[in-house]
Amino acid sequence: MRTSHLALSLAALAAAPFAVSATGSGRASTTEGRDYVAVKAGTIYLVEDGQVVTDGTILVQGNRIQAVGTDVAVPVDAKVVDYGADAVIIPGLVAADTTLGSGSSSNRTAEPGLNAIDNFDFYSSFAGPLSSGVTTAYVKPTDQRLIGGSGALVKLHGEDPERRTLRAPATVHGAIHSAARNAPGYWDPPVPATVDVGIGYEKPQLPKSPMGAIVALTELVNAARGGVDLEEEYGPYAAEGLREQLDAGVPWRITAETETEILALLDFASESGLPVVLDGASEAGYVSEEVAASGLPVVYGFPWSPNRRGVDRGKDDDARWPSYDVPAKLLAAGARVAISSGSTSDLLFAASAASQGKLDPSAALRSITLTPAEIYGVADRVGSIRAGKDADFVVLNAPPISLGATPIATWVDGDLAWDFATSGARGLAEEMGMTRDPRSGTVALQVDQLYLGDGRVLSPGQVVMRNGHIISVTEGASSPPGATIVRGAAAMPGIVDAMGHLGLEGSSRVPGLDTRMAQILAPGDAADRRVARAGVTTVAMAPRGTGSAGSPVMAYKPAAHSTNGQVLGDPAAVRLQWTDSSNRRNSGVAVRGLLEKAKEYVRKWEEYEEAMANWTPPPPEPPKEDDEDEDDEEDDDDDKKDDDEDDDKKKKKKKKKKDDEEEVEPDPVTGIWLGELEGARLRAQLKLTVEEGGGPIEGNLRCAALTDGLVEVAGFYDAEAKSVSLKGLGSNGWVAIEGEYSEAKLKGTASVGETSMEVELERTSRDFVVAKRSERRADKSDDVKPPKGMPKAPRRDQKLEPLKAAMEGSATVIVNVDRDDEILECVELFEECGITPVLYGASSAYVVADHIVGRVAGVLLSHTVRQGSVGTDTVNPYARLQDAGIPVAFHSAAEEGAIDLPIMAMYAVANGMSPTGALRALTSDAADMLSISEHVGLISVGRDGDVLLLDGPPLSPGTSVVRVWVNGVEVE
Amino acid sequence: MIAQTLRHAARLALPALALTAGAAVSVAQDAEKIVIEAGRVVTPTGPIENGVIVIENGRITALGAADEVEAPWDAVVIGGEDFTAMPGFVEAHASSGLDRANENIDVAPFLNIRDSIDPVAYFFEDCLRWGITTVNVQQGNNCVVGARGMIVRPVGMTVEEMMVRPEHGLKMSVAPKTRKSRATQLQTLNRAFSDLRRYLEELVQEKKDGGDRARREALYQGRDLDGENAEGRAMGGSAWKVEGLELVPRGEIDEKQEPLLHLIEGRYPAYIYCRTPMDVHHALDVARENGFLARTTLVIDDGCWKAADVIAEAGVPVVLDGDQIHTERDSFTGKEKETFVPGILHEKGIRFALSSTNSDTDSLWFQAASAIGFGLEPEVALSSVTQTPAEILGLGKEVGSLEVGKHGNVVLFSGDPMSITSWVEHVVIEGREVYDRSKDVRNTHLLDGTRPPGTTAPVDEE
Repeated sequence: MRTSHLALSLAALAAAPFAVSATGSGRASTTEGRDYVAVKAGTIYLVEDGQVVTDGTILVQGNRIQAVGTDVAVPVDAKVVDYGADAVIIPGLVAADTTLGSGSSSNRTAEPGLNAIDNFDFYSSFAGPLSSGVTTAYVKPTDQRLIGGSGALVKLHGEDPERRTLRAPATVHGAIHSAARNAPGYWDPPVPATVDVGIGYEKPQLPKSPMGAIVALTELVNAARGGVDLEEEYGPYAAEGLREQLDAGVPWRITAETETEILALLDFASESGLPVVLDGASEAGYVSEEVAASGLPVVYGFPWSPNRRGVDRGKDDDARWPSYDVPAKLLAAGARVAISSGSTSDLLFAASAASQGKLDPSAALRSITLTPAEIYGVADRVGSIRAGKDADFVVLNAPPISLGATPIATWVDGDLAWDFATSGARGLAEEMGMTRDPRSGTVALQVDQLYLGDGRVLSPGQVVMRNGHIISVTEGASSPPGATIVRGAAAMPGIVDAMGHLGLEGSSRVPGLDTRMAQILAPGDAADRRVARAGVTTVAMAPRGTGSAGSPVMAYKPAAHSTNGQVLGDPAAVRLQWTDSSNRRNSGVAVRGLLEKAKEYVRKWEEYEEAMANWTPPPPEPPKEDDEDEDDEEDDDDDKKDDDEDDDKKKKKKKKKKDDEEEVEPDPVTGIWLGELEGARLRAQLKLTVEEGGGPIEGNLRCAALTDGLVEVAGFYDAEAKSVSLKGLGSNGWVAIEGEYSEAKLKGTASVGETSMEVELERTSRDFVVAKRSERRADKSDDVKPPKGMPKAPRRDQKLEPLKAAMEGSATVIVNVDRDDEILECVELFEECGITPVLYGASSAYVVADHIVGRVAGVLLSHTVRQGSVGTDTVNPYARLQDAGIPVAFHSAAEEGAIDLPIMAMYAVANGMSPTGALRALTSDAADMLSISEHVGLISVGRDGDVLLLDGPPLSPGTSVVRVWVNGVEVE
Repeated sequence: MIAQTLRHAARLALPALALTAGAAVSVAQDAEKIVIEAGRVVTPTGPIENGVIVIENGRITALGAADEVEAPWDAVVIGGEDFTAMPGFVEAHASSGLDRANENIDVAPFLNIRDSIDPVAYFFEDCLRWGITTVNVQQGNNCVVGARGMIVRPVGMTVEEMMVRPEHGLKMSVAPKTRKSRATQLQTLNRAFSDLRRYLEELVQEKKDGGDRARREALYQGRDLDGENAEGRAMGGSAWKVEGLELVPRGEIDEKQEPLLHLIEGRYPAYIYCRTPMDVHHALDVARENGFLARTTLVIDDGCWKAADVIAEAGVPVVLDGDQIHTERDSFTGKEKETFVPGILHEKGIRFALSSTNSDTDSLWFQAASAIGFGLEPEVALSSVTQTPAEILGLGKEVGSLEVGKHGNVVLFSGDPMSITSWVEHVVIEGREVYDRSKDVRNTHLLDGTRPPGTTAPVDEE
C-alpha cells in the first residue's frame, strides 16, 4: 500500500496534464452487450488479495468486467475513458447498513415477511450515495423489532429492478439492542366487536431485556424448525416466514451493541447454529477475542453521525464511550469485519475514521467493499474489481482511506452512473457563478512542501484555486469536492521578473509616461507560455532605457489566457533616470525638475480638493413656514411626542432669537449672502467669530465679475460701526469688500485690483455650511452638468498622473541610480516628495544600506551577484542588502531571458544568500516593490492563482518546474 | 347576548335554506320519448351537423341529420341549432359524494360504498353541471383493501335510484396508508390474500373433519344458508385454488372474507391506487399473484408515468388521479422538469381515463380541454372522458358515446365543448332531462345575483 502510494505520487509528477479524454455525456451506452469500454486510471485498487494495479485499464463489456490490469488488450472499437494518472479507481462501495428501505415497523415483534425491498424505490435518484462512491446498499426494514423483517442487497443505479436486486431476501434482519426492545403490545381489534367477542386487549410482546430477546429468538428458531406452535405469541406467520428463510440459508443479521448483548448473541449463535452476522457491535472492542473465536462476521456500525451536535453518553465510570479502534481490534483478533456508516454518503469517511489502532488502509477499504459483499453473499457480483464481476467502480481523485478523497465518477454495471463533470453539482456550481470561466475548474494542489513566498512553508500543504484566484491555503490536505487534485513535491508562487522586456519584441523605443503599454499585449504567444512554463509568470515590462521625462513600467502576466487577466498594473511603476553617467553633474537634474512639476500638479489637485471641501452647493428652496404641526398634536406615540416637544423648543428658541434680533443682532454676519455685481451673481459665505465689539470673519466668496474661482476671504466686523471689511486673493488680484451692515443688509463697495463697484448683499441664511469632503469619482460623465459654482478640476495630466500616484503611495517609482553618493541624494529628494523609490542598478547600495533602510521600497541590483575578485573581497550585494533589511528582487532585463531568473537566484544562494531570501526576492519582495503584491507574489487566499508545481524544494539543484498555473488555469 | 347569537344563527340558516332549495335542480321529466336537436352532434363516426337524437325508454333509438331522422310527433323536444350534443361524460373513479372517503381498518372489503354515498352531496349536483352522467364511486385512496364500489348516475334522491351497477369493483391501494410504510402496506395487502387462503383451507379442513363451527357461526350471525348459499362451489380463481372448497356451502363463508374471494373468482374488477412508479410494480404483482390482473384498473398519481412501460406490458387500463403535468425537481440543480402524463400514456398505448378529481376543477370536460391544450389529440382526449372510462367500467356498450342502442345520456353545450366560453345547458340521462342551466338556481345566484325563490338576503345587524 505504502509503496504503491509513493509510486502514485511519482506517477502524478511525471504525468501529462490531467485530462479526462472522453467521459461521454451522462451515461455510456451499455445496453448492447457487445459494447466495450476501457476505463483507465493511474492506480486501480482491485481489493481482491489487496492487489493494486498501476497505470491500469479496466475493460468493460456490457455490464461486466472483461479484464483488468496494466497490459489489457483494448479492442479497437472500444470507447476509452482515461481519467489520467492522478485518478484512483476502487470497487463500488457496499454500504452494509442503510435506511434506504426502512419504514414503519410491524406490530408484531417478529415479522420476517416484512420485506425491506418493498420500501426501496428503484425509480428514485440516488445521486447522493452514488456521488460518494456507494453503488450497492443493504436495505433494512426496521431496527425497532426483534425480527424486523428481511433485508436485501440492491444497486443504486440501473434501469432494470430485477438486475439491480442482488439478493432479496438477503437476511433475516433482527436486533436485540435497546431500540428493538420496546415492541408495543399486540392488539388486533375484532371486527365487529360484539358483546360475545369483546374488544380484546393488548398482549405484551417480548423482548424488554437482552435475556428476553434471546428467549424470544430461541423460541422463534425452535418454532421455525418445527415442533413448537407459537402462533399465540408471535402470530401465524412468524414461524412460517423464518422457516422459509432457514431453508434459503440467509444470514441472520442481528444488531447487538453492548458487550452484554454481543456475548448473549454469540451464545445464541453457537447454540442455535444459525449463520448470525453481528451488526452494530460498537463495544465489540472489549470482546474482540470472543467475537473472533465465534467466527461470526461483524458489520461494525461506525458510532458517529456527521452534522450533529455531540452525544452525551454518561459520566459513570462504567459508561462506555465509543472508540474508533474496534475494526482494528477485531481484525487483529482474526474476525471478519465490514464497516457501515449511519450516513450512507459518508462511508469512505467512516472507513477512514474507524481506522484507529493502526488499521491497514487496504483492510479498511476491504471492509467497505469485498467483506460486506461476502457477508451478504453477493461477492460473486460486487465488492472487488475482477474479471467476470459487475462493472461497479468508483474513480477517486486521491487514494481511498485518506481524508479528502472524493469521487470524480461512479460506474455501475458498466454505466456511468454519476459524474462530477456532468452532474447537477457542477450545474449548480455554474449557476451560482462559481465557475464562470469554463477552463477554470477547481484545482487543488497537494504538495509535501508548500512555499508560500513570504518565507513560510507548509508541509504538507494544499492550495486550492478557483475562478482564477486562490481560495484556500491549508496545511495538510482536504480536497474540496470535485476539485482536480494534483499532487507533487513542492509548490511556490509564480516568479516575478522585476524588470524585463518580454513582449517588446526587440523594440527599443522609449514611450512617454502617458503611453498605455497594455495596447501592445495579445494573449496566446507561444514564447510567453514557454517563459511561464519555466516559472516566470509575471513580468514588469519596461522599455529599454528611460527618457528624461520617465518611462512607464507595466506589470503583466505573459501567459494569461485573456488580456484582462494579463494586465496587473499599467503603469505599475514609473522609471526615472537619475544618474547621468556621461556628465555626473547633470545627475538628478531631470528627476528634480520632473518631481517639481509633479509636486505642483499634486498641489493643484490638493487645492481643488480643498476647494471642493469648502464649497457649498446652492441652498435648496427654503421650506415654507408650516404651522400645521399644531393641528395634529394628539399623538400617543412617545417618540413623536418627544419630537413635538423638541420642535416646540426649537420654535421657542427661534422666537427668542427673533426678539433678540430686533434689539441687538449678536451675529449679523454669519451666513450666506447674495447680491449682484455687474450682472453677475455674488455669493459669499461668511463666518463671524463673535467677540467684544465685533470679531474676525472668515469665509469664501464667488463672483464671476471679481474672480474666476472661489476666493477665500478674511476680514473683520466692527460692531460699533457695523462695518464689514473682507479681503482675499482671487485669480485677477486681491478682492476686497467694504461695507456697512444695516437691517440685515450689507451695502458697500467691492473691488478687485484697481476697480471697485457698488454692491448690496442680502443675507439668505444664517448657517455656515461646511461641505463634506467630496469623493473623487473616476469618470464623471460629461453630460451631468456640475452645479453652479462648483470648483473646477485641474486638467488631468497623464504624464504626471503616475508620479502623483507614486506620491500618494499607490505606484512605484523605479529610479536608475548607481553611486552611493547619488543614492543618498536621490533618496533624500524622494523622501521630500513622500516617495519611497525602488533603486535600480544601485550596485553600491549596500555601502549606504544603513542610511537608506526604510527609505526605499527595494533595490533592483545590477546582475552582478559576486562583486570583487577573490576571497574576502567578494561581496554579494543581494545578501548584504537583504541582511540589512532592504528588499531586493531579481530582474532579467531581457525578453525570454526571463527564464534565467531562477538560476540567477540559485547563484545568489550559492554565494551566500539565504534560500528563503532568494525565494522571497523572486516572488513576494518583487511583487511588493512593484505594488502588485495584492495580486501576485504570494500563495495566499485572494491572490491570483499563479502557482508553480515543483519536483523538489525550490532553488535547489535538480529541481524543475513540473506544471504551472496562471490565474488558476494550467499553462499548457 | 343570547339574542345576538340567535340572530347570527338566523343569518347563517337563511343561505343554508337557499342552498337546499338549489339542490333540487334535477327535476325529473318523466317522458318516455325525448328528441334532442342540436346544431352539431358528436358521434364516434364524426360530427353530424343539424342532428337529431331520438331517445325512447331511456335508449337512443335514432340518430342522424334532422332531415333524415323522423322524430316522433309526441316526443318532448329540447335543444336547438345553437347547441352541441355530446355523450355524457363518464367518471372512471371518484371518491366524492361520500360521507367519509376512508375507513380506518386496513383490510375492509366487507364494506360497501353504498352505505357511504350521500345522494344530496354537492358533488353529484356538480356532476350534472359539468355534464358527467356516469360516476364510478370508490373508496378513497387511504386504505389497504377498501370497500366495494358502485357505479351511479348523479341523479336521484336515494342510492337505489342512482344505482347503475351495485357492487362494482373493489378498491385497493399499494401506496402506504397513513402511518404505514410501503413495506408494511404491501405486507398487509399480501397478507389479506394469504389470510383468505388460510381461512378457506381451514374451512375445508374443518368440513372434511366433520366440524360445524362455521355453520353455527353463520346461523348465529343470521346469514342466509338457503338456495344458492346452501351449495359449495369450486374456486374459480386463476392464480391459486383451494382444493375442496366445493365442500363448503357458500353461506358458511365469513362475510369479511367473502368479497376478496369474489374478487379472485372474478365477480368484481379491482381498482388499485398507485402513488409512485414503484407502486405500479407492486400493484401488478399483487394482481398477477392472485389472478385478477385482467380485471385490474390502476388509479395512478402523475408520478407513475415513469412506469408506463410496465403498465403497457401488463395491458391494464389506468385512471389518472394526479395532475396532467408531473413536476419533478432535481435535488442537485433545483431545476424543475415537467412531463405531460396523458401524452406519455397515449404514446405507450395505455388505455387511460382522466379523472375530474385530479386538479382544482370538478369538470372532466375541462380536463379533456386541458389535455388538448397540452398537445393530446382531440379524439383521444375526448375518448379519455367518455368511451374509455365507459369501457373501463364495463359499460362500453351502454354509455360513452352517442350511438343507437346506447343509453340516452346526452349533454348539450351552448357552443364548442372545448371552448371555455361554452356552458352545459342541458343534461339528459337515460331520456330524462335532469339539468337545465336556466333553472340552475345556484348558478344564476352566483352569476346574476338572482336569489333563489323563497329566500331573502340576510340582513346585516348594523
